[in-house]
Amino acid sequence: MAESPARTAFAEEALTHLDTLYRGALRLTRDPDQAQDLVQEAYLRALRYQHSYQPGTNMKAWLFAIMRNLFWDRFKGSRKEDVSLDDVGEFVLYDKLRDEGAKPEADVLDKLAASEVVAAVEKLPPLHREVVLLVDVEGFSYKDAAQTLGVPIGTVMSRLHRARQQLQRSLYDYAVESGIVRASGTSQVPQQ
Amino acid sequence: MISCREVIEQLWDYLDGELAPERMEEIAAHLAECARCYPQYRFEFSFLEAFARHREKLPGPPQALVERLRLLIVT
Repeated sequence: MAESPARTAFAEEALTHLDTLYRGALRLTRDPDQAQDLVQEAYLRALRYQHSYQPGTNMKAWLFAIMRNLFWDRFKGSRKEDVSLDDVGEFVLYDKLRDEGAKPEADVLDKLAASEVVAAVEKLPPLHREVVLLVDVEGFSYKDAAQTLGVPIGTVMSRLHRARQQLQRSLYDYAVESGIVRASGTSQVPQQ
Repeated sequence: MISCREVIEQLWDYLDGELAPERMEEIAAHLAECARCYPQYRFEFSFLEAFARHREKLPGPPQALVERLRLLIVT
């Protein structure tokens, strides 16, 4: 299709975010073919609604929001209900390692298998998982994540904090089970 | 002078770079001198790093998709 220079420039800029979009699509669909379809459809929709993009705002967040909405509408048919997570303490991994008498040094984290880190993220409820993926994995600011998800910044922060607590809890359990961390003294090691 | 409790309460927001510049500086100055807070800061920094590495585990978009999108939306 013949395009105006402005439209071409918009499309070129949009394509600079393809890596992030594709990774996001893979995580949403868990299927490379569906991820490609989702990304392609998101780009076509973005071009169609180009007028609603405000220059100077974050295009990556805008594109991601389009893709996420498409995913829930087209691929899932409905939005996921939120699931609340228990408050297990803001820095539960650090605190537990210290309380167990283990030295909570950063190299404990280096010993955790990458697969376990991925598994811990996968175990999160969907709405918490996507905040972690946007902020902790893709490096979105709270503001951009809020724009992408269509929620207030306070909601991003509370989901992120609870999700990180849960991730720390999962990694602590794994560290104990796999022997990376050994409890000392008479401390009780939780079994799960 | 900012207290240890205040630093720990705002540690995630500090690590995410989401505080006002003056607050970021206050916490950085506290961490540079506090033997109690600094190890926890290092630990939580490494925790977040472990998830940032998650990004590198996924493949980039296939070349066929890149070319198809170029045809569809740029040319």
